[in-house]
Amino acid sequence: MAPSASAEDKLRRIGFVSDSALVHLEGDALLGELLDRVRQIMNSDTAVILLLEPGSAELVAAATRGIETEVRQGVRVPLGKGFAGRIAAERRPVTLDRIDPTTVVNQLLWEKGIQALLGVPLIVGGTVIGVLHVGSLTSRRFTQDDIDLLQLAGDRMALTIQAHRSQAARAAATELQRSLLPTKLPTVPTLDFAARYVPGGGDSAVAGDWYDVFTLPSGWLGIVIGDVVGHDLPAAVVMGRLRSALRSYALETTDPADVLGRLDRKAQHFEPGMMATVLYGTLEPNFGRLHLSSAGHLAPLVAVPGERGEYPELSIDPPIGAVREAARSSTVVELPPGALTCFFTDGLVERRHQPLDVGLDLLRETVSVQRSDAVCAQVMAKLIGEDMPDDDVALLTFRRESLEETGPLDLALPAVPESLKDFRAAMRRWLSTAGADDDTTGDLLLAVGEACTNAVEHAYGPAGGTVRLRLELRGTEVLATVRDHGQWRQPRGQNRGRGILLMRKCADEVNVEQTGDGTSVVIRRDLRVGSRP
Amino acid sequence: MTTAAVEAEVRGEVVCIRISGEIDLANAARVQDQINSSITNDVRTVLIDLTGLDYLDSAGLRVLFTLADRLRVLQMNLDLVVPRGSPVRKAVELSGLAPVARLRSTMD
Repeated sequence: MAPSASAEDKLRRIGFVSDSALVHLEGDALLGELLDRVRQIMNSDTAVILLLEPGSAELVAAATRGIETEVRQGVRVPLGKGFAGRIAAERRPVTLDRIDPTTVVNQLLWEKGIQALLGVPLIVGGTVIGVLHVGSLTSRRFTQDDIDLLQLAGDRMALTIQAHRSQAARAAATELQRSLLPTKLPTVPTLDFAARYVPGGGDSAVAGDWYDVFTLPSGWLGIVIGDVVGHDLPAAVVMGRLRSALRSYALETTDPADVLGRLDRKAQHFEPGMMATVLYGTLEPNFGRLHLSSAGHLAPLVAVPGERGEYPELSIDPPIGAVREAARSSTVVELPPGALTCFFTDGLVERRHQPLDVGLDLLRETVSVQRSDAVCAQVMAKLIGEDMPDDDVALLTFRRESLEETGPLDLALPAVPESLKDFRAAMRRWLSTAGADDDTTGDLLLAVGEACTNAVEHAYGPAGGTVRLRLELRGTEVLATVRDHGQWRQPRGQNRGRGILLMRKCADEVNVEQTGDGTSVVIRRDLRVGSRP
Repeated sequence: MTTAAVEAEVRGEVVCIRISGEIDLANAARVQDQINSSITNDVRTVLIDLTGLDYLDSAGLRVLFTLADRLRVLQMNLDLVVPRGSPVRKAVELSGLAPVARLRSTMD
């Protein structure tokens, strides 16, 4: 039914909704101001807005005038029940002239002494978003003109509420996504990280792309890139949940296929209907091997110095949320010193009317081994350039340093047992960069570990001190020096003194120099010789 | 902090203790306690599986020697499973554990 000309007139006269004073009001204040105007034009005692909770079947009081307790008490009305519930379910205005438990769900209405109610649905684009109702404390019969006027006011309010909501949702999604991307990539010795993220130029300001890098207590490193299907706030929320769930599972196992399998089960159960592609890699503590598993995500690009980049042969398993109990597999990729790896989302290489291979080939031709930040800059310039991509683009690049860049290892730590693990972790990375094989690495870890243990156990009194480890390459020989500033005492207790024996058996040469200023243990080991007998 | 996982399972008169992770001075005492508390006095053989162990130094060997000493008094056998190619095989072989423990490459 068309609203009468007088209804339009009335609204216009009081500048309902279009008033510039409303522009600066936010959320709750805006609703309150609108209700004041509704109360004025309807000449009513109360005015209430209830909004449908997204994803639920309940109306929640959002703003009130003349019956303030309603919002404070968080009144909820099930769809189809009582006065407001009926308006929303039947999508039509309803008037009531008897207010008691048989006609309304919300007891505040009859406790307040309301005698008559008129309510209209708030509809945007065919969808009910809430209910607007006015009440009278004295007996009153609402006329067809009243109904038309309130419905017209309700239609204007619905549009305003919706506009504010999508603006707020977009701002929240942008903020959420920003908070979920690492502001600073972790500083990891001998690894060099860089990343780029560009939101797509389509209608949505934000999609669900994310990347993540984290160290694990075991010394392994987790590297993630993912793309949630969908956009704006819902995609950003799902992305946040996937990100933190993946981090939790990463603490349980270093097998990326296992982590993605658990993530998939979690998503299938708690986020039904969502879908995401994820590439998850775990880097061994010496950074020499990258374990990869892909849930519907493109394989990374891996480039070693002096060679063109390659996409490793990876089994691309189903995306997260796609099929139940999907089989998942892991692939191991060798990363020699100097190797560069690029994780990316399809927005980087996918263009309309162009086969995917064109983008993948262009990326491969563009990437050369250099500092990660320079690689990111070059890739973005070549693949994105001046164009605004339709889709989000995320790019995460990391590179193992070569031994020339890394130089000698020099590490000073407190002379306490807890430092031993950190010395080993640093040695594993350095020896892998220096090209030591597993046997030689094991021997040196043991020999140097014993020297460090001696310093921790015997060099200092209760005041403590530091142990300094230096590893350097002289030709093909590793020279390890463990220094403290204390005086070793004789070993105490039973079953002691085995350390020096192990040290000598695992090295080519061991020299212990004791001076007035402390003890130096110098250990030599040639990298060309395999495990010593 | 260095971490090692110690899991024990009793199979008749044999207690099988699986140790994974790393053992050094920082956690040796804790590992020792965990091993001791998984051995009851009705056991005849203690089988320690080091297959999942990535690092073992003299502090860890001390745990095994102390255990071997104690088991000898209790008249229990000590079997150690250390596969060939394991990162800790060399430390175990060099240590001279052979006279007090039976060294095996597999669980069978």
